[in-house]
Amino acid sequence: MDEMTLNVRTAAVRVDGLSRRYGATRALDEVDLKLERGITGLLGPNGAGKTTLLSILATVSEPDAGRVSVFGLDPREAAERVEIRRRLGYLPQELGYHRHFTVAGFLDYVAILKEITDRRRRAEEVARVLAAIGLDRHARKRIRALSGGMRQRLGIAQALLGRPDLLILDEPTAGLDPEQRLRFRELLSDLPGDPVIVLSTHQADDIAAICPQVVVLLPGRVHFAGTPAELAATAAGRVWAAGERDTRAHLSWRGGDNRWRHIGDDPPAGAELVAPTVEDGYLLLSHAAGVR
Amino acid sequence: MTSPFPDAAGPVARADGHAGEDLLAGYATGTVDPVVVWSVEAHLTGCARCRSALSAHVDAQRLARNRSVLLVHAALGDGGRVRRLLRRCGVPDHLLRLLAATPSLRRSWLLSVLAVLAVVTGAAAAVRYGWIPAGGPAGLAGYPDPEVLAPFLLVAPLLVLAGVAAAFLPMFDPAHRLAVAAPFSGFTLLLVRTVSALAAALVPVAGAAFVLPGPGWLPVALLLPSLALCALALAAATVMEPRAAAVTAGTSWALPALLLAATHVPLLIVQRNAQFACAVVLCASAVVLLARHDRFELGWMR
Repeated sequence: MDEMTLNVRTAAVRVDGLSRRYGATRALDEVDLKLERGITGLLGPNGAGKTTLLSILATVSEPDAGRVSVFGLDPREAAERVEIRRRLGYLPQELGYHRHFTVAGFLDYVAILKEITDRRRRAEEVARVLAAIGLDRHARKRIRALSGGMRQRLGIAQALLGRPDLLILDEPTAGLDPEQRLRFRELLSDLPGDPVIVLSTHQADDIAAICPQVVVLLPGRVHFAGTPAELAATAAGRVWAAGERDTRAHLSWRGGDNRWRHIGDDPPAGAELVAPTVEDGYLLLSHAAGVR
Repeated sequence: MTSPFPDAAGPVARADGHAGEDLLAGYATGTVDPVVVWSVEAHLTGCARCRSALSAHVDAQRLARNRSVLLVHAALGDGGRVRRLLRRCGVPDHLLRLLAATPSLRRSWLLSVLAVLAVVTGAAAAVRYGWIPAGGPAGLAGYPDPEVLAPFLLVAPLLVLAGVAAAFLPMFDPAHRLAVAAPFSGFTLLLVRTVSALAAALVPVAGAAFVLPGPGWLPVALLLPSLALCALALAAATVMEPRAAAVTAGTSWALPALLLAATHVPLLIVQRNAQFACAVVLCASAVVLLARHDRFELGWMR
């Protein structure tokens, strides 16, 4: 088993031989991973095991086998699990809401679950995250009256309560418009205290924009761990632009400039080599792993 | 001219009677004595010039933060009469806030409970007092006293159980993943919700038992079976899937209740032997629950 590690000083989060099955489906297959402080992007197709991995890191699910260490704490021990949860902010992929709650009421509820029991401190914390996520004008609004994008921002806001040391965000940019995605990137970049942030996404441009580290998870296994530049470099010399489609390419599509972009080993006729992107590297890895 | 700021130390009041910059800066940052604060505030009330000068010393970010906190306080409100009353009785505010996410404490749920109780109580009363003639509704026709109580005896503890089940089953809590991933004790959350749901359901059940044309001890006799069923459901949830636990507890009441109703002795389900059996179930469930309460800290996501 190859251990895929990032270049780290001290791993804040460490995963060794993590496996998890759902019936006959192997969601995670002996995953090894080390994560340091800063933002790590988790890239992978649907069903790759991203949500399973994140829910295990968030102490919500238990693995069938393997070990997890978060800041040196073992989630299998009850007291250490609670300590991890004290330092955790978690946005699940499909966060349900009590729809009769107001925006402020929901955050107040989550703040209590995060053991912020003092009323005044709770109000300050709720006001802080509302302002950070740009929902302060909607504090009195019922959740059922919010748009999908506003609900997603509310989900991000609740994860920020208590200034977590470990922030796990499962597809946080789903449902956000381009401007909100930019604000989200800005927000993550400005978080004080250098927390460990793990976010899963299908958006390679989110990864390229804000993640110094990227992990590619392809059905159940880690296929890449490194920087976005290193991921893009895996496609160096294999991305071409041409006027015509070439059926020999692994993947090809027509861009906005009407030219075909090919990813493959053989250059199409009249093609010119172009600089690869993070998305090219990811697509090439997916193709090599047989993901369609 | 007498200074309007008699207790202010140092060169804080100007000769023209207005507040000096140092005084205003001290007032804005909260570093002057309370007596001086009162003097400054009294002066500011009638002096537009000093109010204007004060704005230069105010930390705009701090002001915005305070405004946001006030807006959040206003948005949260004080929770209404019931919550105010419970707070006065010493229940911590944050525990009362947690109850807002308990479906069986919502008005719609409580109205449903009342509606079901009204139907079974009304039907029993109608048969007992002859408002429904013999040969009336199939389930009640031909039942002389005390068999008219059979539907109520079947339904009442199950209503209490349903309220408690709704308070602890993950399927009724859309945000339960957040509760699992949070440090707040899952067992404490469970107890807070179930005790409140239990109380909210027992009150109308006991009330209905009072107005029923049955024995006077019926409201008290329903207490132990209701508690035993809820405790059994919670204890079973530590060894099986929570929904299956609730169904198991419900079945363990419904089957004997139906059997006794079919044999024309429905009241046996709440009489002495049954009370003893319920006490045993309650104690055993409490022991299991205490011994295995850590199961509620793990989450039920497997």
